Amino acid sequence: MRRCVLAAVVVVTALLLQVGVVNPLDLPVGQPDLVLLCVVALALVAGPTWGTVVGFAAGLTADVMPPADHALGRLAMAYALVGYAAGLLEDVEERSVVTTVAVVAGASAAVVLLFAGVGALLGDPRVDASSVAHSLAATILYDVILAPFIVPLVSGAARRAEPVTTY
Amino acid sequence: MRDSGRARVVLAVLLLTAFTLITLDYRSGSGGPLRRIANAVFGPVENAVGDVARPIGSFFSGLGHLSSYKSDNAKLRKEVSQLRSQLRLTDAERARLADEEKLLHLDQLAQFRIVAAHVSAVGGSLDFESTATIDVGSRDGITANMTVIDGDGLVGKTLSVGPATSTVLLANDVQFSAGARLEGSQLIGHVDGGGRGPMTFTLLDSQGTIKVGSRLVTFGDIGQKPFVPEVPIGRVTRVVPTPGALTRTAEVAPYVGFDSLDVVGVVVSAPRTIKRDSLLPPTPTPSSPPPSTPPPSTPPPSTSPTSPSPSRTH
Repeated sequence: MRRCVLAAVVVVTALLLQVGVVNPLDLPVGQPDLVLLCVVALALVAGPTWGTVVGFAAGLTADVMPPADHALGRLAMAYALVGYAAGLLEDVEERSVVTTVAVVAGASAAVVLLFAGVGALLGDPRVDASSVAHSLAATILYDVILAPFIVPLVSGAARRAEPVTTY
Repeated sequence: MRDSGRARVVLAVLLLTAFTLITLDYRSGSGGPLRRIANAVFGPVENAVGDVARPIGSFFSGLGHLSSYKSDNAKLRKEVSQLRSQLRLTDAERARLADEEKLLHLDQLAQFRIVAAHVSAVGGSLDFESTATIDVGSRDGITANMTVIDGDGLVGKTLSVGPATSTVLLANDVQFSAGARLEGSQLIGHVDGGGRGPMTFTLLDSQGTIKVGSRLVTFGDIGQKPFVPEVPIGRVTRVVPTPGALTRTAEVAPYVGFDSLDVVGVVVSAPRTIKRDSLLPPTPTPSSPPPSTPPPSTPPPSTSPTSPSPSRTH
């Protein structure tokens, strides 16, 4: 229960910071994806079922939160799959910073490709080779830079919220 | 590695839900009850976050200027540090005021009725979209498909509108398209956002010529929705060779800086006729190409940080 509340608070905060603070900064190349970092961090602690549910909920919220403008469910699908996959790596023994960063890099690439892939299927004109390449580069770069700071923070909080049982 | 049957069932169910949502939303177009609820719930929160984040952003941008004010004089250091904080505040205030002045100037030239707004959030969705949330909504009289401008020219159009916020599709988004007219002529075409690439202008006339440096204004739509006429868009930077094509294409440098939007205005009504090319920035000499920098705005009448900002609706 406490972990539920924690996950909701973390995800909504990440979404608001993303659109309200990070995106307006107009960083070179592109932006980090804070929500992805939080979904991965929570999934790594709580396992695949949790990862899937948190990813889906976070993605759906990102889909409807203004000023998003794409078919509802696209981010929900992408984050749910990534949450599941990251959850499978739960308790990878001796999880080092390098492992975490590698998982985040993989997850960033997967989210961009899944989001763009469904967009391409729907004929979204925003998806083309150059925009996908740009998004991949920016998301992986910034997420990898931020992962050593954000993932332990969120994972630690999630672990403390439910110290014994893991689903 | 841990995998249970339950996780896979949950994943399957949620993926199916996501695909159903995608299909339903794709068929019905943008909108739907979920988005309307999200607009009402998250809109005010985004406004609050924007209000907090904006001064922080101008603080960081102000830091760049501060170094030039540094003095080595140890005696003056204390005084300087006090002045510094004041300068920071007035810098941000001054920039805001200048933005609002410019907007009002353009607004008065055209006799538009506008509702002034601040950008409270910027979209991205993994960097594919170019959208923004502004802090005015249906309670301020905003509806979908209205022209959004700032002091330099065309910013975009409104998409979905919540009670306190509206989503704006910025003119550099790939999905953006607006009717446009070449300055001083009857030649019309459409301007399209280019995403990461340049904005383009397509002239719907294979005989017409486009010159580098020509300026573009909106053509205006029937009923002035989504676009009112005569709003400056940008100027032509390169003519793309399209031999044999029925249309002609050029690259356009927009007047508006989409990465540093702050004060914008939503045009709620426009006069039936606006004098042609009257809203374009003045050219120094008719023969030389117009300057790449926007024209100098009139200095703010007062530099006091407590000077009142213009009223929202007028």
